[in-house]
Amino acid sequence: MTTETVTSSLGVLIFSTDNTHLYQCDTTEQFTLVFFGQKVVFRFCELIVFKSKIRKIDLFNLFNTDVPDIELIHLPHCDRFFALSTLQILELRELFSGSFAMMELNSIIQRRIVRKAL
Amino acid sequence: MKDILRRHQVLSEEITDILNKQVKIEAQSSASYLALAAWCDVRGYDNCAAFFFKQSEEERKHQMKIFRYLTDMECNAISPAVAESQYEFGSLREVFEKALEMEISVTDAIHDIVRACRKAGDIATEEFMRWFVQEQIEEEFVARRTLELFDVLGEDKIALGMIEERVLHVEYDGGEEG
Repeated sequence: MTTETVTSSLGVLIFSTDNTHLYQCDTTEQFTLVFFGQKVVFRFCELIVFKSKIRKIDLFNLFNTDVPDIELIHLPHCDRFFALSTLQILELRELFSGSFAMMELNSIIQRRIVRKAL
Repeated sequence: MKDILRRHQVLSEEITDILNKQVKIEAQSSASYLALAAWCDVRGYDNCAAFFFKQSEEERKHQMKIFRYLTDMECNAISPAVAESQYEFGSLREVFEKALEMEISVTDAIHDIVRACRKAGDIATEEFMRWFVQEQIEEEFVARRTLELFDVLGEDKIALGMIEERVLHVEYDGGEEG
């Protein structure tokens, strides 16, 4: 088994789905979300808030035919709005689920191997 | 790759959510105590009103203690919206019954947090919550004892006067003898 770290000018690629990617920059300690070609930079606390907003969207309500199947999400740190379709929400949830699993795995490695050696 | 998760997220999302929920419970409790104090105050039960004003301040302190813990841990602390409190009661006894019910409800919520901390292996927050567990023992004791004054003294005018006199002196001695 081989492991490969994908890096770019945005930093280390943490996780990808078909249309979304999340990068971590070790220098600035910021994250870049590439979402259907758009780039948004987050500090960690902002990323957590965004993730939480995505998690709290009531998907069943979006399937209700009486309401539009679009959810508006405001990103106050960069003053942008995302109008998210149900599929985009599902893709973001997959991205966050995978990304945070990878970050937790990295945390475990750091705790068990790197910090233990210090 | 830097461990940014550990550097910036000391608490898990689950623990952050449950602590934010507790901030709201404490805020609601503080507001409810104000309603109890107002009921007593306008009916001339000055000491009972003072008792509930003090309780309201205590709950506010609890709320801020958890709120500050969340911000200290670099978590997203949410300033809660508080619903309208019950402000109509049939009797003074009913007011104290409401107070005891609120304290029991807060205790249950605190114990839920401790259980969640144990499940998540969050030793720091469990340790932080220890103070609240002890505090709730005291709060429940005081609420229960004041309510028991009604059983001991009754509810006629003389009894209510005696309750007024005694309510500010009900204290928990921490289980000490003597």
